[in-house]
Amino acid sequence: MQKTLVKAEFKGGVVLVEFNDVSVTYSSGVDALNHISLKINDGDFAFVVGSSGAGKSTLIKLILKEIDATEGTVTVNGFNLRKLKRRKIPNLRRTLGIVFQDFRLIPTMTVYENVAFVLRVIDAPKKYIKSRVPYVISLVGLAHKAKAYPEQLSGGEQQRVALARALVNDPQLIIADEPTGNIDPALSYEIVELLKGINECGTTILMVTHEHDIVRHFGGRIININAGSIAFDETIGGANET
Amino acid sequence: MKLSSINYLVGKGISSVWKNKMMSFASFCIMLVSLLMVGLSVLASININKIISGIEGKNEVIVIVKDDSTDEVITALESSIKDIGNVDTVSFYSKEEAWKSMIENMSKEEQDLFQYAEGDNPLPDTYKVSVKDIEKMADTTNRMSTLEGVESVKASNEFADVLISIRNIFSVIALAVVVALIIVCLVIISNTTRTSVFARRKEINIMKYVGATNKFIKIPFQIEGTIVGLLAAVAAFILTMFVYKGVFNLFQGNYQLWSILGINSLYSFRTIFLPVAIAYLAAGAIIGAIGTTISTSKYVKV
Repeated sequence: MQKTLVKAEFKGGVVLVEFNDVSVTYSSGVDALNHISLKINDGDFAFVVGSSGAGKSTLIKLILKEIDATEGTVTVNGFNLRKLKRRKIPNLRRTLGIVFQDFRLIPTMTVYENVAFVLRVIDAPKKYIKSRVPYVISLVGLAHKAKAYPEQLSGGEQQRVALARALVNDPQLIIADEPTGNIDPALSYEIVELLKGINECGTTILMVTHEHDIVRHFGGRIININAGSIAFDETIGGANET
Repeated sequence: MKLSSINYLVGKGISSVWKNKMMSFASFCIMLVSLLMVGLSVLASININKIISGIEGKNEVIVIVKDDSTDEVITALESSIKDIGNVDTVSFYSKEEAWKSMIENMSKEEQDLFQYAEGDNPLPDTYKVSVKDIEKMADTTNRMSTLEGVESVKASNEFADVLISIRNIFSVIALAVVVALIIVCLVIISNTTRTSVFARRKEINIMKYVGATNKFIKIPFQIEGTIVGLLAAVAAFILTMFVYKGVFNLFQGNYQLWSILGINSLYSFRTIFLPVAIAYLAAGAIIGAIGTTISTSKYVKV
């Protein structure tokens, strides 16, 4: 809790993600991103919007170091991704929380195990896992489903498990790639509300979406990508603020 | 890595065997058949080698001593034969012993007829020599025939040549069969585990996204592969024991085979029990671990 308060104090001061004149050209010859520069500050809640094929997914892939930039440099949580060796990628990903459109929960593990797995990966003490995991699961309102398997949960519930998994390691930055894409519209708002709540506690959120209603409703920083370039990067007020 | 993490990964590996029981069973069957094929081939190979060695050991050279040789010459001949090299044992067989032995093997009528001829014993003194390396038989007998006091040397060089050919051909065939089987087994096993790993590629992918290292992902798979390999090894060992004992009893119960090959021509299962068990367990564990390592490597590159 103390850690999140400290983060909040520095809100706007520390740059967590920086794209510096980044271009990506795939081997097929497609230019996915063209010389984009972008900064995500600590404590930001930023929506990345754009039509299909605009370059949103490429942006996420760069942050996760699934792919490398053809030109320019990407820095995430202090890691210069151009210089980051392949075997050190897990170190980068451990500083991130990731939420995917298709949830990506391990089907053979219970809710508890899915969330605890992140802590096991970083060799966290058993005692800490036992106290932290139930706490995070209760934060997303699924304490009663801790022993359930993903297939026994609804889409909304699965996404909440994915959120708990992203949160459990207390990451500096959560990347949410179309987190509402596979769930009912009503539940979509719930998920974004949860993300907003997490952001208010100091965690930076970068959410990719193509659902303009949600963006309009919540407002905040909007980064619009069009044909591989940033067409718009501004902060707007949300409908729920009026 | 902390002990709690090691415990967790080992536990995951063990539980995966059961959770993925269909794939585990498929891998188990493939490994069982593979281990049996290689194991039985190796056992057949070492036993056939033993049979051939046994037959080679019975291959004696008879050195016939000149009839007019003095006792000194005969005595000196023994050490001369030993000095040639490639000689295992040398035993003297006097003309008197030869005569006695011949008479004993005769029928009553023949004995009656020959007992009066003892004074004119026509049989020669001989040395029975067994050679160490049957492949050098011809050279050894040639050198023996040049020694002082030697009338002639009787040896079945043709038989030795046949044995050498059989052994050489068999060794090449056995080696080729075992190598081919091992390659086939590795290909089949790595493909089977690949299917199992492929079915869980999404799981691996997710693990990578939450920051799991390759080692962290691979260890449970390797433990799973090792456990399946060990189970297959135990089953292969039990089946081998029954098959081997069956074949062994068949040989031992067949008097004709006995007389041709000798009573100890095959290893009894009791004498090879431990090495066979260790070899099966080691092979099962290693193949299981290596097979899964090869097949997981492709899917951990995310």
